[in-house]
Amino acid sequence: MESLIVQASGSGNNIIDVYPDRVELRSGWQSQNREAIDHRDISSVEVKGLVNCVLTLETNKGRLVRLENLALGEARKIKTSIELQKSRAAQQS
Amino acid sequence: MRRLGLLLTATLALVLALPAVALAQEEMSPAEIGATMDTMWVMVAFVLVLFMQAGFAMLEVGFSRMKNVGNVVAKILANMAVGALVFWAIGFGIAFGAGTPFFGLEGWFLSGNIDAGTIPLSMLFIFQMAFALVALAILWGTMLERTKFSVYLIFAVIFVGIIYPMGAHWIWADDGWLAALGKQDFAGSTVVHLSAAMAALAGTIIVGPRLGRFDDNGRPQLIPGHNMPLAVLGVLILWLGWQGFNPGSTLAATTEIADIALTTNLAAAAGVLGAIIVCYLYRGHIDVGMAGNGAIAGLVAITATCAFVAPWASVVIGFIAGGVMYGTAVLMERMGIDDPVGAIAAHGMGGVWGTLSAGLFTTPELAEANGGLPGLFYGGGLTQLGVQAISMFSVAGFTFFASLAVFAVLKATIGIRVKPDQELNGLDISDHGSYGMSEGLVATDNYPGNGNGQYTEAPVKTPEGRS
Repeated sequence: MESLIVQASGSGNNIIDVYPDRVELRSGWQSQNREAIDHRDISSVEVKGLVNCVLTLETNKGRLVRLENLALGEARKIKTSIELQKSRAAQQS
Repeated sequence: MRRLGLLLTATLALVLALPAVALAQEEMSPAEIGATMDTMWVMVAFVLVLFMQAGFAMLEVGFSRMKNVGNVVAKILANMAVGALVFWAIGFGIAFGAGTPFFGLEGWFLSGNIDAGTIPLSMLFIFQMAFALVALAILWGTMLERTKFSVYLIFAVIFVGIIYPMGAHWIWADDGWLAALGKQDFAGSTVVHLSAAMAALAGTIIVGPRLGRFDDNGRPQLIPGHNMPLAVLGVLILWLGWQGFNPGSTLAATTEIADIALTTNLAAAAGVLGAIIVCYLYRGHIDVGMAGNGAIAGLVAITATCAFVAPWASVVIGFIAGGVMYGTAVLMERMGIDDPVGAIAAHGMGGVWGTLSAGLFTTPELAEANGGLPGLFYGGGLTQLGVQAISMFSVAGFTFFASLAVFAVLKATIGIRVKPDQELNGLDISDHGSYGMSEGLVATDNYPGNGNGQYTEAPVKTPEGRS
């Protein structure tokens, strides 16, 4: 069982899970869509807003993933965790 | 044998004579007897209103999924505890203490000289405390199955301590600004039900819908409650409790309570029929939960007017409340608002319609006896209807925006929603460490994705080309 670092749900049944090596996105009414993005494929993470926050992930290929209506604390934790994992991976390599 | 007989006779005589001796020594005046009767009646009414908490518990349990029922009842218990203490400390003073037209400035911890009429102040307090707890129970029914337990407790302090008492002061305190205008709200359609529903609406907007409540195209998907008999039992307990809620608001043992009980029950019955008929016309079947909410909507609507209207009018008020409730529930769904128990529709629109109906149906005789002016249909003109509309907009607006601000601050600081896995696996285990119902009673249904049953993970895709 991999250790989940942090997770949050946004509007539209979207869920984001942050693991040590990747981010997983779950979406769909019955969480039927599930995809993983390696931390090394994420170029930037942004948080906008104060109450209903928008978390935007940008991949190296220019794809934007937006999660809306997140709580500020959760969005910040996700951003911090991804950045921390990326910097750890950079130090190890 | 003879000695035993004498002993028994003497004992019997003493037992029979003692109460008479006691009464002879402390003869009660008619006023004292009246006050005692009033206190006894309000005590009975308080017990009935407090019993409504059991009704809310069963209603919410029935409408929840099995994995969350322990959380639901824990929340009811915790809120009763927090609400009672906070209302004793500050809420009652703000609601009923003298001060400004907007809030009271005395009566903290039941101190001060608050006028309780013929009943003791402590009796008035616990009766009103039960009302505040009802408002709190209504509020949380809409945010079930995804709200953090700590949010229940923190918001309960603010709602019962400040927000709810301010609306109560405006309408029920002697120096309240809406009371001065002649606002009619006999037992709290506006004060209790509408204000609770508005706070609930604010919270529901901020917390968002449950996972799986709307599909990928935003269309509403049914998340059925796990036990309709329990939900209907809850409605029946609430209906029973309303016999204390409305007639008890006389705060005196008068013959008027019979008429109030009559209008109350006629409205509830008509509310059920109104909801059933509209539901059948719209969907082609009778939704059990909506029929129950029809009864509640009828009861909420008549709560403002129970002492002001004729029996025929209570039937009209209840019937319209039931129908309007159903329409509001459908509208809420279409707007993307997830209210698991339908409290916003039943208590919110019931409260709006009940408040306005006083301006339409109040009879001249009952207005003279209980305050305010006759309604539009009795030649009273638009004055009372205008007062009712002002009170409805002001209390609803204040409660909604104050609650929205508090929920927004909570979301921006501690967060108000549980983690997705907690929501999908149920709050009983994550928040309370044990199932609310037996582990043997596992729900077997077709809703795995929205967490009703065992959650199974979908396979992972890796769009960036790595595995």
